[in-house]
Amino acid sequence: MDESERDPSVTAQPDSYEAAVERLEEIIDRLDSGQAGLRETLELCKEGKELVNYCAAELDEVGEGLKELRLDDLATRLEVSSETGA
Amino acid sequence: MSLPGPFAVGAYARKLQEEMRKRARVQLIGEVTGVGRSKVQAYFELRDGDGAVPCAIWLNDLEKAGLADGALRDGAEVVIAGGPDYYPGGGQASPSFSFRATDVRLAGEGDLIARLEALRKQLRSEGLFELQKQLRRPRLPKTIGVVTAETGAARRDLVAGLARRGWDGTVIWAFAPVQDRRAAPAIAMAIQDLAARPEVEAIVVTRGGGSLADLWAFCDETLCRTVAMLRVPVISAVGHERDSTLIDDVAAVACSTPTHAAEAAVPLDCLAARESLERCALALRRAGEGAIGSRSRHLGALARGPARALQRERGKLNQKIREIRAASERGLAGRVASQHRIGTVVLERARRRAVGADMDKRREALRQAMVTLRAHEPERTLERGYALVEGEAGEPLTSAAEARAAERISLRFSDGRVRARPERDGAA
Repeated sequence: MDESERDPSVTAQPDSYEAAVERLEEIIDRLDSGQAGLRETLELCKEGKELVNYCAAELDEVGEGLKELRLDDLATRLEVSSETGA
Repeated sequence: MSLPGPFAVGAYARKLQEEMRKRARVQLIGEVTGVGRSKVQAYFELRDGDGAVPCAIWLNDLEKAGLADGALRDGAEVVIAGGPDYYPGGGQASPSFSFRATDVRLAGEGDLIARLEALRKQLRSEGLFELQKQLRRPRLPKTIGVVTAETGAARRDLVAGLARRGWDGTVIWAFAPVQDRRAAPAIAMAIQDLAARPEVEAIVVTRGGGSLADLWAFCDETLCRTVAMLRVPVISAVGHERDSTLIDDVAAVACSTPTHAAEAAVPLDCLAARESLERCALALRRAGEGAIGSRSRHLGALARGPARALQRERGKLNQKIREIRAASERGLAGRVASQHRIGTVVLERARRRAVGADMDKRREALRQAMVTLRAHEPERTLERGYALVEGEAGEPLTSAAEARAAERISLRFSDGRVRARPERDGAA
């Protein structure tokens, strides 16, 4: 898609949790400064909400019980799947 | 062929033995492997990551060394003293080369530290300590790999540390021996296998404390070079705080305990992060609502502006009217008072003028009256030579009859009195 055709309401997905938090802190700082106009405030709030949702989802991924795997088992599975062509 | 010889091989072999035995006696340090014994000597290989030397020691020399029973065993780090030797063999016996040890002792900390420092210096000079530290470490990895012993406190402590972080992601365990000559290659292989998995974002290598000899596998040159070259960050937590192994130097992060390793592998405190995220969400909501609310109030205020301005102007006008009225009343009263004062002054002046003229006339009349009065005073008459006849009580006697009737009389002149007694002549 051409850059000019991109929907401006769709915010790009952050690269990482760190990037999301960094941007979120920028947004909060900007809002706290009281210098943002109404339109900018609402856009920042919208972007911030999406970032909060992203971060919450990232935290949820590591918040549903520790999963423990053994490297040996993973290697064995890999060998079996390659042998069976699966 | 222009070389010397041919020589008899047996003679050459004995000559080779002589030459070997002329070599300087030295000390070697390394790990013992493949220990065996014959009736007269013990033999083994002494090796490290770079190579090995076959060694032999006569049993009587071994006994003199005073090692404890079983101390010369596979995996032991030892220092041996001796020199190269060559057994030329015989008609039936095979020739062999060996390092003939005449003394052996277990390697002490000092020996190992000297080796470690030499290796550390070498790896540092090659810049291998910096490579891992330049890697980006994710604050919130989803999957981490862990190399450790299957049994042991390190594994338990690491899991507890991750739990305290509030992190419940995926751990891929790569169990490996952590203390013998098999440990270093096994650990290196486990680390490489973990790093090959795309989902693994960080690797922890950990084991509990021990002597430097116990931790020696983590000073293995091949292992440390492997770690240094990986593109996945490695976090080492080997031994206790005082222990310093070479893997600590090449790793991205060196930790003193498995618990600290958990914090380094997952830098984000997930529990605190959730709370922080809730605060952010609240701040955003307030900012959005606040922005709309404040502007809504502003708009409302603007809408009420004209009426309020009119009211304000009306108030000002009323105030002015009150002020004018008050000023007017104050001015009128002032003028009345002023007129009154002026009138009073004029009247006073007129009165004074009027009273003054009258007074002059009266004073003149009074003066004339006084003159007239004085002219009629008896004293004035007495001064002209007349005398006044008075009775005993001082009452004027104005007839001869009254004078004759009085016992005593007084003749009052202007300059004094004369008492007299009238004569009674009966004729009167």
